Amino acid sequence: MEVMDPDLDQQIAPDHPWIVLVWNDPVNLMSYVTFVLQKLFGYSLEKATELMLGVHNDGKAVVANGTREQAEMHVFRLHEHGLWATMEKDGPST
Amino acid sequence: MSRFKSPVRRKADGFIIDLGADETGLVLRLIGELRALLTDPRPSTEAEALLVRLFPVAHPDDEKLEAEYQRWMRSELIQSKLAAIAIVEDALEGDGVVDEARLMAVMQAINSLRLVLGTMVGVIDDPDLDEVDPTYVESPEYGLYSYLSWLLEHCVRAVSH
Repeated sequence: MEVMDPDLDQQIAPDHPWIVLVWNDPVNLMSYVTFVLQKLFGYSLEKATELMLGVHNDGKAVVANGTREQAEMHVFRLHEHGLWATMEKDGPST
Repeated sequence: MSRFKSPVRRKADGFIIDLGADETGLVLRLIGELRALLTDPRPSTEAEALLVRLFPVAHPDDEKLEAEYQRWMRSELIQSKLAAIAIVEDALEGDGVVDEARLMAVMQAINSLRLVLGTMVGVIDDPDLDEVDPTYVESPEYGLYSYLSWLLEHCVRAVSH
């Protein structure tokens, strides 16, 4: 499995200005959220667990970034799995 | 007492979902009800409220982009959820054997049911996460929600190990 481990909170490339957020909710199981993040984004168990705990403890976490089309596809796939995902443009809007 | 066997187990060529007759019948009934909700051409306000967590907002700060997202993606999401329902029916009406991709579809369908039942019993709106209104805890819906949580947890364990 390909493992991607970008520092998403730190580095948003100028041509990938949209961020994908997963929000905390009381229904989705922590184990299921971790599993979905591994499957959809190829994250290691450690990285997916870290992101899931960010969602659980801080209310939300940035799980991916990209062009608008890429971000919408990520959001769609997260919605397919029942996660509460949104997207927004990082930084000041142009 | 016989030794507990997980309802979802890895085997050499995939996974087996082994629920027994009563639980199989229950899941098939719930899945059928979910399909009816998703395909109702004129859903009631109450039915639409139950489905709200299945179609989350993608662009909370931009009405125009949100309308565009819903226009393109909502029907795709419905089709995806109906396909997952068909896979559950196929598996449970057959021998219960699925590959990983189909087990993931089963997990999606189970989670869709949890989201609807969670909405029904008020788990969604509770400001104290992981808690539920005590008046709902003994309701049949909360029992079903808890059962599906248990089943989904076993799916995750089977596919993760």
